[in-house]
Amino acid sequence: MPWFLHLALRQLFPPGKRFPAFATVSILGVGLGVASLLVVQTVMNGFGEEHRLRIRESFGDCVVLGQKPIEQPERLVAQLKADAAVQSASSFAEGPALARQGDFSGIAGVRGIEVADQNQPARNYVYAGSFDELDDGRVILGIGLARALRVQVGDKVELWSPSMAERAEKGKAPLPAEFEVCAIVRTGFTEVDDRAALIPVRRFRELWNLGSRSHGITLRLKDPAQAPAIAGRLGVGHPELRFIPWQDIKKNFLEAIRFEKTMLFFLMFIITLVASFSIGSTLFSAVIRRSREVGVLVSLGSERWKIVMLFGLQGFLIGALGTALGFLLTWAILFFRESILGTINGLFGDGDMVASVYQFSKVPLHYDAKDFVVAAGFTLLTTALAGLIPALWAAGRKPSEAMRDA
Amino acid sequence: MPDSNSSSTGEYVLQATGLQKAFVAPAGRLQIIAGVDLEIRAGESVSIRGSSGSGKTTLLQLLGGLDIADAGEVLVRAPDSGKRVSPQSAIGRGIGFVFQNYQLMPELTALENVALAARIAGIATKEANAAAKELLISVGLGERLEHPPARLSGGECQRVAIARALVNRPAVILADEPTGNLDEKTADEIMKLLLGVVAARGTALLLVTHSAEFASRTQRRLVLSGGRLGSA
Repeated sequence: MPWFLHLALRQLFPPGKRFPAFATVSILGVGLGVASLLVVQTVMNGFGEEHRLRIRESFGDCVVLGQKPIEQPERLVAQLKADAAVQSASSFAEGPALARQGDFSGIAGVRGIEVADQNQPARNYVYAGSFDELDDGRVILGIGLARALRVQVGDKVELWSPSMAERAEKGKAPLPAEFEVCAIVRTGFTEVDDRAALIPVRRFRELWNLGSRSHGITLRLKDPAQAPAIAGRLGVGHPELRFIPWQDIKKNFLEAIRFEKTMLFFLMFIITLVASFSIGSTLFSAVIRRSREVGVLVSLGSERWKIVMLFGLQGFLIGALGTALGFLLTWAILFFRESILGTINGLFGDGDMVASVYQFSKVPLHYDAKDFVVAAGFTLLTTALAGLIPALWAAGRKPSEAMRDA
Repeated sequence: MPDSNSSSTGEYVLQATGLQKAFVAPAGRLQIIAGVDLEIRAGESVSIRGSSGSGKTTLLQLLGGLDIADAGEVLVRAPDSGKRVSPQSAIGRGIGFVFQNYQLMPELTALENVALAARIAGIATKEANAAAKELLISVGLGERLEHPPARLSGGECQRVAIARALVNRPAVILADEPTGNLDEKTADEIMKLLLGVVAARGTALLLVTHSAEFASRTQRRLVLSGGRLGSA
């Protein structure tokens, strides 16, 4: 080990002191800065990923819509299924309805789906009951809606569609459609859980007087990331239809998340920068305090660049150890995030903010190696610079002056 | 002109010619060193006395390459080639320093402090530690190798500093008031040790001191007054 590294380690961690004040406070400061940065980034990534996944699962990788309901959608579905980039295609219809059970009622977002489609995302979120039991007399409800209506699997619910109101206007008695709940789904996305009511598309057409038409077609793609290019290609020859890739379905919302993440990175980076300035300032004081030692090292024959290394390395070591601590803290905070959030909600909130504001039942996470590399890179750079500036100052001093000072 | 008070016949290890140094003070320019010529031969011991503020430490720093003279030249015998070089390039291996306040690294043990000088000079850690250990034993600190300066007495710290100055076998040691912080008895012990080890190793010594008694133990005695050197 070079002597300057040995001395740098000894000055940072003097023997006999378990927690030397300067090193401990500096490393903790950098660690907290890095952890703040990465926790925010990882949670924001999680929100982004969850929203993207929910958008894709709710609307498909690409959704085909027209100005009017699509006539004979089966033909178009068959045509789209034949494309090599398409994994599956199924028509759908959707509309609002009043759901009622006894004295309880709620607004349902009713979606008519093709039951035979094995790629229906609702299959992955069944909380109770069975998806495969869905037929013309049965319905699948989101867990929030089921709770609002006080129903369980096997209970009956009534659905009142707008077309029934038309029937009343024509002087006929509007009769609600009665369904037995065959399954309850829980996606964790409250917008879906609180409103979803899934019935077969054939039954939906009956209740909404759609005939053989559908409101749209949902496509699942083999490579969802390529959705914009595939949508553009599939749209050729169909001027009456719009092929909307999932990235464009809630574009502003996704952009807002991305922007929010960038801004939070910037704000959190300032915390790390402040910690680095603090290290620079403390190292500067340490260098002034050690002025005589700088002079002594010169009198022992040390080259100037090695004195730069001696103090510069201390900043770098603080940065490296602080970054490692930051990674560890990030993991710990994220591992216990639900407990931490529960405590925060208990102390300052009056409900589950994640569910009410962000519509997730849990704080989502997505670890991105790039964020860790960038955080580590920035931190090491700033702390090394924070150590380097006083180091250059120290090494530039005349030894005779340095030995007179301090 | 080099001083003519040299009593040794060995080869010159340090030569200074026409050294001048002034400082700018609020009251005006202060000429601290006003033309000093000095030659020290191998194995010779020389003392310089002078009142406080007479420029003894400044002269030592000019001779040792820790400061740069306004005029004049200092040449030191290079440890390896024997050529005359500037003190800046001989520092560490050609010149050793002993300071009044010991100037040890507080985070290092006695052994590490001595070995540090050798490691800075490019000697491998193992050899540096072996040389440091041998020197510390020779100055009576064999039982204190792993002690940090905070656990050593003033006399012991100065012994460590002497061992550190000697570890690279320099041609000359510049000692600036090495007994200034010690009690009379310890100071006497340190002076005996310093003069003994430099004599035993054939190292030249330039001693700056207030003490006429310690100065009298050197082979040649000089006085710095008015920025110039004269015989005591």
